[in-house]
Amino acid sequence: MSEPISISVAGVKKSFRAFQALHGVSAEFEAGRMHGIIGPEGSGKTTLLRIVLGLMRPDEGSISYREGGRDISFADLRPKISYMPQTQSLYPDLSVDEHLEFFRDLYGIAPPDYKRKREELLEVARLAEFVRRPAGQLSGGMYKKLGLICALLRSPRVMILDEPTTGVDPISRRELWTLLYRLLDEHILILATTAYMDEAERCSKVHLFEAGLLLASGEPRTLLQEQKARSFDELFLRRAALGGP
Amino acid sequence: MNFVWSRAAAMARKEWFHIRRDPFTMSLALVMPLVMVVIYGVAIDFNVKNVKLAVSDSDQTQASRRLIDTFSSSGYFRVRRDFSPGQALDDLVAERARAALIIPPQFEKNLWSGRTAEAQVLLDGADNSTVVPVSQYVNTIQTLASERIAGADMRPPYDLRTRFLFNPELNSRWFIIPGVVVVIMAILSIFLTAMTVAREWENGSMELLLSTPVEPIEIIVGKALPYASLGALAVVFVYIIARAAFGVPFRGHLWVFGLGCLIFLLTYLAQGLFISIASKQQTLAMQLSMLTGMMPSVILSGFVFPIASMPKFFWYFTMLLPARWFMVISRHCFLEGSSFLELAVPFAALSLSCLAMTALAAHKFKRTLE
Repeated sequence: MSEPISISVAGVKKSFRAFQALHGVSAEFEAGRMHGIIGPEGSGKTTLLRIVLGLMRPDEGSISYREGGRDISFADLRPKISYMPQTQSLYPDLSVDEHLEFFRDLYGIAPPDYKRKREELLEVARLAEFVRRPAGQLSGGMYKKLGLICALLRSPRVMILDEPTTGVDPISRRELWTLLYRLLDEHILILATTAYMDEAERCSKVHLFEAGLLLASGEPRTLLQEQKARSFDELFLRRAALGGP
Repeated sequence: MNFVWSRAAAMARKEWFHIRRDPFTMSLALVMPLVMVVIYGVAIDFNVKNVKLAVSDSDQTQASRRLIDTFSSSGYFRVRRDFSPGQALDDLVAERARAALIIPPQFEKNLWSGRTAEAQVLLDGADNSTVVPVSQYVNTIQTLASERIAGADMRPPYDLRTRFLFNPELNSRWFIIPGVVVVIMAILSIFLTAMTVAREWENGSMELLLSTPVEPIEIIVGKALPYASLGALAVVFVYIIARAAFGVPFRGHLWVFGLGCLIFLLTYLAQGLFISIASKQQTLAMQLSMLTGMMPSVILSGFVFPIASMPKFFWYFTMLLPARWFMVISRHCFLEGSSFLELAVPFAALSLSCLAMTALAAHKFKRTLE
């Protein structure tokens, strides 16, 4: 059994020309938990994920990855990490099965493992009867689920999801969360961003972002009590009414 | 570097699905070579024939008729009779004729009295593409006509005989079609690959790809493979048409030609990938491949415009172009039957540009989104 992985971010700043996306963010993402990165659009959530994934370099600050208390490099982590980007990133002309086979080969999954995984994931995602349908002809929810099961094919230790439920109907949203909860049983680290405030309460730890700043981190209930709000919706609406941070 | 074949093969397989399902790619790969060979092979003919010649014969003698006969029986001219020099000139100006032959009165009389008999040929100098070959025909006909009119005793004291080696009839198709092979391969390889990486950036799939274990070099190899096979297929196709439909001879070694094709193909695939990696947008990639791939391979490769007569700067500049070197290899393989050793210089230059392009593409491919 592999050791749990945790990630910590210290003083990360990032600008794109004149626009500063992150103003010195520090956060702890402990292993075995579902971390929700919550905040309105443009608050720097995607940029943070991309920096954690090594897809972008921070202007300042550092990211450290630990496996069972021992520091590891990103190169060591890369084979254990799965990512589901926010933007459409599947191939519209490739069918569900062709996607799974493509990622099977990229991840180097052995045929017996693949067979088992494929059936299990198609079953949970309820996509089994659509395996021949091209991704471009799937509904929004099915498309997202396909993206997720592609990412889950290889049993990652770290799962990073950028707005996995945006544009998805309520039933599919619930299914997506069910898929994610199953992963927690395997003690993996999940980082998911969302702009749906009700989803924040499904996470075991939330990180509230606004305008490139981390406002607060903690267990959802505790955070709401501290901020004297009944829901995250209310919290952000109140802050918006006050004119931001 | 960590290169895993199965990942490159997965990329190649996925790319093949895109090719099969994209009508644009398929038609570019299959129809374009056919259209180009037909256009260049059939429609464009540098051998000027049937030039309309307006003739005004004010002499009306046996000698003048012989002169006119020599023109009309050459096969290069179609004679149109006029009644006066002025009318012949009018025909030329009104573009009813491309050349005019004006025979003055006294032509035969001057000839027999030992003076120089003069006749005038007027050519439409505005049309540069025909004036050079036509003036060559006129020279040949002049020699021929003076023999026929004056008899064997009037032969010039020396006899300059020209023979054209490798392409004895100066058939322009023999010259053009081995060049069309180069142009087709250049366009095909650069356009197809230039779109592919840019497409991944545009549809967002690059972000996902970069987060998987696949290495940039595996993406490059995997993407190049299917297009290389398409390019190879197009070469075979064009080769068969060249030999079967146009009767172009192939005097060299097939393996030398094949090797040249392969290196050239890889160079332009790498250039296409480099453009795609650098531009990240399909429209920009399209324009860049037009500018750096298609135009030089048509204009500066010696395909139709001779490199030898270019200004010094361009003459040196063409040295950088892979198409220029492959043009030499292709023509020599078809027409001259050159050996690999005789083509060592073009092969070395081509290999060098292939390595440079591949290195450039691999270097430019970063594993980040920035």
